[in-house]
Amino acid sequence: MQEYAVGKITEYPQGSGKVIKVAGREIGIFNIRGRLYGLPNTCPHQMGPLCASGKLTGTLIATKDTDWQRQWSYDGEVIQCPWHGLEFHVPTGQCLALRSVRLRRYDVVVDGEEVKVRF
Amino acid sequence: MERSSPIRKERNMATVVSKQMQERKERLEDILVVDCDVHVHETPGALLPYCDMPWQKALEAIQYLPEESYNIPGFSPGESSGGYQAQFPTGHKTVRKVLTAEQMRTELSAIQVEIAILFPDQLLKIAVLTQCDYAAALGRAYNAWLLDQCASVQHGLLACILACPQNPVDAAREIRRYAKEPAVVGVYLPCAGLDPLWGHRMYDPIYEAAQEMDLPVLLHSVTVTHPVFPFNNHGFDTELARHALSHTFSIMANVTSMVTTGVPVRFPNLRIATVEAGVSWVPFLRNRLDKEYIGKRREVPFLEQKPSFYMKQFWNGTQPVEEPENLEELATFIQLSGEDTVLFASDWPHDDFDHPRKVHQLPVSNETLRKILGENALRLFKIDAQGRRVNL
Repeated sequence: MQEYAVGKITEYPQGSGKVIKVAGREIGIFNIRGRLYGLPNTCPHQMGPLCASGKLTGTLIATKDTDWQRQWSYDGEVIQCPWHGLEFHVPTGQCLALRSVRLRRYDVVVDGEEVKVRF
Repeated sequence: MERSSPIRKERNMATVVSKQMQERKERLEDILVVDCDVHVHETPGALLPYCDMPWQKALEAIQYLPEESYNIPGFSPGESSGGYQAQFPTGHKTVRKVLTAEQMRTELSAIQVEIAILFPDQLLKIAVLTQCDYAAALGRAYNAWLLDQCASVQHGLLACILACPQNPVDAAREIRRYAKEPAVVGVYLPCAGLDPLWGHRMYDPIYEAAQEMDLPVLLHSVTVTHPVFPFNNHGFDTELARHALSHTFSIMANVTSMVTTGVPVRFPNLRIATVEAGVSWVPFLRNRLDKEYIGKRREVPFLEQKPSFYMKQFWNGTQPVEEPENLEELATFIQLSGEDTVLFASDWPHDDFDHPRKVHQLPVSNETLRKILGENALRLFKIDAQGRRVNL
């Protein structure tokens, strides 16, 4: 496991994300309410640039608990691949449409002002 | 220099040994890719200089209207992108546009496409315009703009002349007018909101001209809610449902119409293709029409053979390519549709486009891959591997 410095925390404002290149990999780094997450910038669908939009949003859910009524949920926690809109829950890497698909997540830590990715 | 291990070298070569075949899968980069469906972006302002009076004044009046998802009043009316339902915040910008030939060339190269066939964006819905003279004028303006601003053999961007269904005689003139242009390789038949369907005898001048000029006709639809079959889709409350069915139902309706009025019989040398309906409907419709033919032959006495005989001569674009978990199923659909008449299409830049690597993944032979990704298109459009027409 190695640690790579990928910039200052000020470069990763809350509620957004951006793609960085480090050690031959493209990783999307997202700041959700002060906590940072990392996802691969490759969509398992057709290999599109999954994190390129950098735009975090929410989505709609409907479950038995909501009596199958639509509810706005996961606000600020969802990224969509810019190619076809496939949704992923950033904190868990879970693909919302393809239940069996869960992205690997990269550990992202903040050390003082420095943001570091581990892999 | 560090010597790479055999395993790393294998991976670096990006080859995949086909499970089915005893041959190494050719790299996508080494296969000619002809993309049978990409979309330029025409706007009222872009077509204005090419448009006849008095219609040019109308384009002048609307050229600054905001554009929302291919729905410009007085140009491309009709709900195509979920406008009848709530529009929630989204992280996915669904409308990508290609505004110049240079942009198209750059973006197609990025998805490994060498040659592409151009279709419109807004004028996918030209058939819904109720003012026939205006529609015909728009069609003429689009064709002139397309040839002047977009099509280029040098860049591998080849054009389909728009045949305006509201005025088939004018459309036939347009076909003959551009038929000898090096960058013109086909005729686009708009299907969205079309009434009557393409089998009606009123369209015969279009088929006559296309056959005479040795240009194929390509049927292309789009999702729209409109009070004609099969676009009376207001009963669905999601874009998912409308989009899932509209393109394919439209192509199926038009193919059925054309076969059962005898278009392929009356125009035996006319090459006919369908685009943006996928391929899995093809075996269904062939079998369905053949079954009906058994007891209803007398309704179509001009058919010398059963309906599937004619359908087997049609060409079909892959996009939106079916994506079953088991790609063998897709390979089966393609085999049933006919590996010599299936055409790769991306639909770039639309948000449901297919990257060619999706088709490249198919568990089929390299020979079949080369056919689907490019060689079949060379035969349909009568072009060589550099996109030059061989029938001029």
